[in-house]
Amino acid sequence: MRYSYIRPRKKSPLTKEAILILTFFGISFFLLFSTYGFLLFKEYRFKKELQAVYDKKAELKASIHTMKNAISFIEKESALANKVHTTNSVLKDSISNLFDLVPDRITLSKAEILKNGLILYGITPNKDTYAYMLEAPLRSIFAKTHTSFYQLPNGWLKFVSTNYLDNEFEDFVNED
Amino acid sequence: MKINFPRHILYLTIFSILMIISAIWFAADALIPMGKEYRKNKMILKKERLDLQRHQDFYNETLEVYNDTKSKNRAIIEAFENRFDPQRFKAKYSRFFIDLSISKASDPAKNDWYEVYEVKTTSKIKSPVNFYDFLDALNKSKWIIGVTFPIDFRRDGELIYSSFKMQVYKKSEENNATHSEKPEAEKS
Repeated sequence: MRYSYIRPRKKSPLTKEAILILTFFGISFFLLFSTYGFLLFKEYRFKKELQAVYDKKAELKASIHTMKNAISFIEKESALANKVHTTNSVLKDSISNLFDLVPDRITLSKAEILKNGLILYGITPNKDTYAYMLEAPLRSIFAKTHTSFYQLPNGWLKFVSTNYLDNEFEDFVNED
Repeated sequence: MKINFPRHILYLTIFSILMIISAIWFAADALIPMGKEYRKNKMILKKERLDLQRHQDFYNETLEVYNDTKSKNRAIIEAFENRFDPQRFKAKYSRFFIDLSISKASDPAKNDWYEVYEVKTTSKIKSPVNFYDFLDALNKSKWIIGVTFPIDFRRDGELIYSSFKMQVYKKSEENNATHSEKPEAEKS
């Protein structure tokens, strides 16, 4: 027995409305998850880049530190070299001045140049020549001056002149 | 009054509401915080890159100063690195004297910076001019050498005997260890 003259249509759960809604939400969730994936990827990239920046910074800091040490060391070496060269030049001038100080009439046989003093050995025709021509300039340079004379058979005098810049002279004389 | 509301539309409505709630929950709970974090990270990265650039600029400046200092003091650096050779010293400076002998001081005060040598010379002169020339030449030598007290001159006829001590400066083992690490730029 038939109740209808038309044949029943096959009904599907995917109606037009359902397909529309599923497509809409499908696209929406796809976009949401894509954005989430993009952000996750960006975060991963960010962590890697940040680490690279930190590493590079640490490397630069270490290099700067090493270079600063090297610069400071070179400057120290340069200062020391200049000091040594200056000391040599000053020494040369001092010795030159010392020998210029000795008049022709006085002959030196030995000179000991110490850190803070000078000991001269030599011969002089008489005490006055020594006193005026050598002792006076020596007194103007050194704080303490002491001279001993010894008579030579030819009438000249052998002298030992000890000159110091500071109190070490007193100790030296006392020791003698 | 009866509302004719198809059942599948009801299901779709419920489904839509659930989807909307899920989407809002997902956005609020994960997406928005992550977006905020992304913006924050972007700012941090920008700041760190600026800082890195500042470090790079400072590195370049320091490298320039380092290279400049090094080139200006090349002779001094090499002089400190040169190993002192008494035989070569004698060969080079014996022209100032009739006789030149050099020996390492037997018991020098320990110093990381220099070694002490005792030098005895003989020169045939009337004044110690040769000694002055020698001091001038020392300042141009390939080593850093300082003449120290006491300096003795003794006259014997036409000859002047002199003896003095020399400090030959060098880069000590300790200094070598501390400063052997070369900057990256020099390595590359």
